[in-house]
Amino acid sequence: MTQAELVFDPFSEEYFNNPFDIYRRMREEAPLYYDPKEDFYALSRHEDVEAALKDFESFSSSRGCDLAMVKGSEPPQKSIIFMDPPEHRHMRSLLNKAFTPRAIQAQRATVIELIEKYLSEADPDNFDVVQDFSGPFPVEVITRMAGVPEEYRQQVRHWIDTSLSREPGQVGYSEAGMQANVDTAMFYYNLVQQRRAEPQDDMISRLIAAEIPDDEGNLRRLDDIEICGFATLLGGAGAETVTKLMGTTMVNFARFPDQWQKLLDDRAKIPAAVEELLRYEGPVQYNVRFTLREAHVPSGTIPAGKPVFLLKASANRDADAFTDADTFDIDRDRAEAQNLGLGYGIHSCLGAALARMETAIALEHLLDFMPRYEVKWEGLRRVHMQNVAGYSHVPVKVLR
Amino acid sequence: MKVSVDFGLCEANGICMGIIPEVFELDDQDYLHVLNDEVTPENEAQIRDAVRQCPRQAISIVDD
Repeated sequence: MTQAELVFDPFSEEYFNNPFDIYRRMREEAPLYYDPKEDFYALSRHEDVEAALKDFESFSSSRGCDLAMVKGSEPPQKSIIFMDPPEHRHMRSLLNKAFTPRAIQAQRATVIELIEKYLSEADPDNFDVVQDFSGPFPVEVITRMAGVPEEYRQQVRHWIDTSLSREPGQVGYSEAGMQANVDTAMFYYNLVQQRRAEPQDDMISRLIAAEIPDDEGNLRRLDDIEICGFATLLGGAGAETVTKLMGTTMVNFARFPDQWQKLLDDRAKIPAAVEELLRYEGPVQYNVRFTLREAHVPSGTIPAGKPVFLLKASANRDADAFTDADTFDIDRDRAEAQNLGLGYGIHSCLGAALARMETAIALEHLLDFMPRYEVKWEGLRRVHMQNVAGYSHVPVKVLR
Repeated sequence: MKVSVDFGLCEANGICMGIIPEVFELDDQDYLHVLNDEVTPENEAQIRDAVRQCPRQAISIVDD
């Protein structure tokens, strides 16, 4: 019997429900996958994805990071994830000092306070890890840092969800998604005007005051569009990622209760568990790049001018990089290969330290809140989104 | 061979200091200091580890 033809369709129901089988086949059968219908490439092996992430001169971010954007004729909105050096370097340097592991400690009390608030309101018999907990709390942290007034912080999250959602088969934005993008832009535009008039101690005010070199080397201020783009990115990347990571976390600990027991026995293992969660089933599946020139990776050559999926979630399951790659093991040797769950190189996650801290504090509190629990498997719902994966609903019952 | 750090890329993650604190030190202002930039047979393996594991790709080894 011959195997079914290998088709990687990142907008199919089958892929949304289980990307890992298709990733395995791609790594084995087509490491330099080419899709003639949509005219894109996809890299799935660890060595190839790692090499492409390092080679930002060939694999450009300037056309966007999803297929519709990269293939589209319009340049993407101004945002650091859609930039190459030197522009990328200037923009990133404006905020990166606020996200170092040391600097992020200033957010610890806020994170603890929010986590305790949402867990204190939770019903142990009827608790949804995502809806009641990991959806609401991360967006509060990042939008507070950005300078979004409290009454709008949850709204930011709903706009992001609407914007990223994809029905099976849908590549671009839906009408609701477009509207959410417009509403987000208008909201941040108005907020920037307020902060221009009255600066506060927040990131939007800092971006307003900042200067970067222009093409001639003269210093210039950022315009409204650039600041809005940055704020939109922070609210998205800094929120829905941890939301999804926590949902998958509690599903995977239910699947592998011996690993949960390890944490119950020894909380010093929490940081290692966070790393393994990011490797085993992190929220980010891929980013798309565009080849500015002929690009060389260990598995071969990609011509210039092509969209290329860098499948980080597949690379993290590559058995040539990680021993027993499909085994969830919080005690694994982390030095074996680079964990690509938070990216690698110039575009590696700006908020990595915040994501790690939020996830670790959330785990500490969930170990107290639900030391024994069952997932209500029939109630699990996956999101259908591009770039990221995870659950929108993870209902659990806390056992006494 | 010498250790070279691109300070424009470094974002003070401190992975390198965790691997070999004799060479890399992050101060309490988030500035990275290269305490000893000579790559020797004794420290080469650890320095190469730091180069590989730096999430920012900010460290390299250069010929004298």
